Amino acid sequence: MNQKRFSIALAGNPNSGKTTIFNNMTGTRQKVGNWPGVTVEKKEGNIKKFGYDLKIIDLPGTYSLTPFTIEEIIARDFVLEERPDVVIDIIDASNLERSLYLATQFREIDCKVLFALNMADVARSRGLKIDDKKLSELLDLPVVFTVGNKNQGIDTLLEKAIELAESSYEIPKKRRVKYSKDIENSISSLKSFLENWTEGSIPYNPRWTAIKLLEDDKIVKKRVLNEAGKNSREILQQAQIHRDFLMDRFDDDPEIVMTDERYGFIAGIIKEVLTTSAKQRIDISRNIDLVLTNRFVGFPIFLFFIWAMFQLTFSLGAYPMEWIDIGVNFVSKSLVHVLPNNLFKDFLLNGVIAGVGSVVIFLPNILILFFCISIFEDTGYMSRAAFLMDKIMHLIGLHGKSFIPMLMGFGCNVPAIMASRTLESEKDRTLTILITPFMSCSAKLPVYIVLAGAFFGARAGSVIFGIYMVGIILSIVTGRLFRSTLLRGADAPFVMELPPYRAPMIKSLLIHMWDRSKIFLKKMGGIILIGSVVVWILSAFPQNISYSLDYNSKISETKASYNAEIETAHESGKKLLAKQRDDAVSELIKAKKTEKAEKSFMGSIGKVLAPVFAPIGIDWRGSIALLTGFVAKEIVVSTMGVLYAADGTEDSAALKNALLSSGMTPLGALAMMVFVLLYMPCLATVAAIRRETGSFKWMIFSVVYSTSLAWIVAFCIYQGGTILAV
Amino acid sequence: MKRVHKREKEQFKKLFKQENIDHFEDRFNILEVFLQTEHHVSVAELVRLLKEDGHQFTPDFVRDTLKLMCRFGFAQKRRFNNGQVCYEHRHLCQHHDHMICTKCKNIFEFENEELENLQVQIAGAYNFHMLRHKMEIYGICSKCLKDHVQLMSLVNAKQGERFEIKDFIGGATAHMRLLSMGLRIGDKIDVVTNLDSGQLVIAIDYNRYALGRGLAKKILVEPVVR
Repeated sequence: MNQKRFSIALAGNPNSGKTTIFNNMTGTRQKVGNWPGVTVEKKEGNIKKFGYDLKIIDLPGTYSLTPFTIEEIIARDFVLEERPDVVIDIIDASNLERSLYLATQFREIDCKVLFALNMADVARSRGLKIDDKKLSELLDLPVVFTVGNKNQGIDTLLEKAIELAESSYEIPKKRRVKYSKDIENSISSLKSFLENWTEGSIPYNPRWTAIKLLEDDKIVKKRVLNEAGKNSREILQQAQIHRDFLMDRFDDDPEIVMTDERYGFIAGIIKEVLTTSAKQRIDISRNIDLVLTNRFVGFPIFLFFIWAMFQLTFSLGAYPMEWIDIGVNFVSKSLVHVLPNNLFKDFLLNGVIAGVGSVVIFLPNILILFFCISIFEDTGYMSRAAFLMDKIMHLIGLHGKSFIPMLMGFGCNVPAIMASRTLESEKDRTLTILITPFMSCSAKLPVYIVLAGAFFGARAGSVIFGIYMVGIILSIVTGRLFRSTLLRGADAPFVMELPPYRAPMIKSLLIHMWDRSKIFLKKMGGIILIGSVVVWILSAFPQNISYSLDYNSKISETKASYNAEIETAHESGKKLLAKQRDDAVSELIKAKKTEKAEKSFMGSIGKVLAPVFAPIGIDWRGSIALLTGFVAKEIVVSTMGVLYAADGTEDSAALKNALLSSGMTPLGALAMMVFVLLYMPCLATVAAIRRETGSFKWMIFSVVYSTSLAWIVAFCIYQGGTILAV
Repeated sequence: MKRVHKREKEQFKKLFKQENIDHFEDRFNILEVFLQTEHHVSVAELVRLLKEDGHQFTPDFVRDTLKLMCRFGFAQKRRFNNGQVCYEHRHLCQHHDHMICTKCKNIFEFENEELENLQVQIAGAYNFHMLRHKMEIYGICSKCLKDHVQLMSLVNAKQGERFEIKDFIGGATAHMRLLSMGLRIGDKIDVVTNLDSGQLVIAIDYNRYALGRGLAKKILVEPVVR
């Protein structure tokens, strides 16, 4: 069936309920990607409705189409370049005046616009009555009332959108903002200049282009310079002359005068369509803010929420983690019995299942963490958190908004680095990405637990806390260092809207949570899979190692001798002997494993690296463990388990004992923990850094910087401690 | 009056030659025509007058020359209620003196016989031969004093206070940003929180904003009595 295809773009102010409407329209049929070249999330959904194929695009929330932020540039470029069939401007009906500012700008570009007066119920409860017919008549476009969170009016909206897309469109000449005489003169003279001199080489509406040139719009200027050929300089000069004239005439920048006049135009519309009944009720959100952003109690409350989030993530997450662990174990155990003993089995069990299993086990944590963060976002608390943290984040030279990625870094660096895309300034984003890996992620915790538990006993808790603090302090130092050298940036004027507090909708919480977790699973799962396979290959090959001892015959020898003893022994002694036999056998297997590890490629690499790690008190086994930690930090513990010849299970008492008897000192353990805290992020994080900074340079820089910092700090601790101890 | 103009023309020659300004002859013609007028002229009018006098100049050139004349103190820019920019003479030697408001840039003329005499006396006491004098008092006019005395920067606001936004200082970008987010001159705002050396939370109707200190410094407000 050949159905008609239309593309519909959703635009609107932030917090106008755009995403809710998008979720209602598309449900789970969403595709999350990036806008080309930038790291702003792009959401699309394809649906079939009324016999049409509709492609719904969720544009980023913007206040205007003046290109200040990436979001605004994206939204504008999309409408101008991709030319969607219809643009639905979602308007917060309870905040009509400001919403119309964006709406009038859409009216100035030649595109088919449709208004959705969203949150009609909120507007009504505030005593606002909007005459939709009048509004539709004044601006010459369809207007639909919607209540996004109750899914009201969405079908009508789509119906009207299709109707509009089907209709032949005429540019409404009289429904635009009309500026004062001098500005109109400048616009029309510049417009005719454009029409005469560019011969249609500028792809946009000439009037709009003229307006933008008068507003000194950098992007439009650049495009005119590129497209208009030899006359482009002249056009820009002409525009500058008009700008100077208007500047002189109004004693203010033309863009500000024009903005004022747009608001004047809007005020005229408001007067005709909006009636306010006298009931002026108190703003509940404001009253909540009096408490939650209060200078005394705001911060403690914030700390409580964060504490509660982590508590929930790790305590509630422990149960499903256990189930997954059991599940993975079950799968590998059953495979042990089913598959024949060969290289492929080893590959499947120790390479694929062990590797992927070690990541999947963190899925519950990630899901809960993202669920909590979605709650913070959807209720509107997140922007308050950014507000409260702003003062502290200024220590590093960042805005409060950077706090969110850094906070998420304690859970997992990958989503944390992905969260940095909410930052507007590119320099802020890069800086945040560079320091986030110093937030000790949850995968590093097992390493601390094992090492601190083995060497510091009762004081383990304080030591681990100290390690976390070292990470925070070094992130501040790093931030300040880079802010004053590599990423020196002007302090952009900071203004952020604090959205009203809303009860979150479970559906959108789940969609948000799943969107992010999906990225984690898909991309990171792939990388970890490849990484685990590499680690497996390095540790499994070369296959034919010449062992110093013929373990296999020794094992069967031991077994045979014990079995013979058991045969002759008394009933009571049989059990004891059987246990002794098993112990002896597993002792031999461990010895074999250790030797195998030592003689594998991995072992050779570890031996080569040993001189590098020696000054910081880490032997060749530790170096290999750290090396494998590049794939995923949680592998450090399991590698240690193999190399120190203990049972493979994490943080077991056996590994602790093995570590204690391996000759590692408490100081060495401390140095190792600090090294684990600081050294290069895991493969998945490195991939995320590459993607979010969009450059290999920053990725390499991050790896080199963190690893050298780790070595230096560990060196200072180990050597300094040794000197002090003597 | 003739005499005064002669002196001004001499000064004009001296100054413009000194500063190596181009098209001296053309500009001098403009000056002559300008000095013949005895009221406020706009650029367009002056172009017309020049044309009547047989000179053909572009408005841009005339505006440029007028700007130079303003710089050297021969003319002065005036903006009247209809917003149109006009230029008028600024005579350096007239019998009245000026008070100049640094805020609204308005110039107030005053005459005081005693002051004139006093100046002659003072000069005489020092055995100084006075050719001419210039008396300019800079300050804030009574209207501006009334309007602006209570303006303060939002950054100094306290929690719970109510203000009206009166002015934005600083660059056009920051100003535009605030405008597009719905913060405009004339809006009544409530200060919800003001963290010491941190950000501020303000509320307008049902909207709330967090503002950086740097930006809050650029917003001038006046307290609203509730």
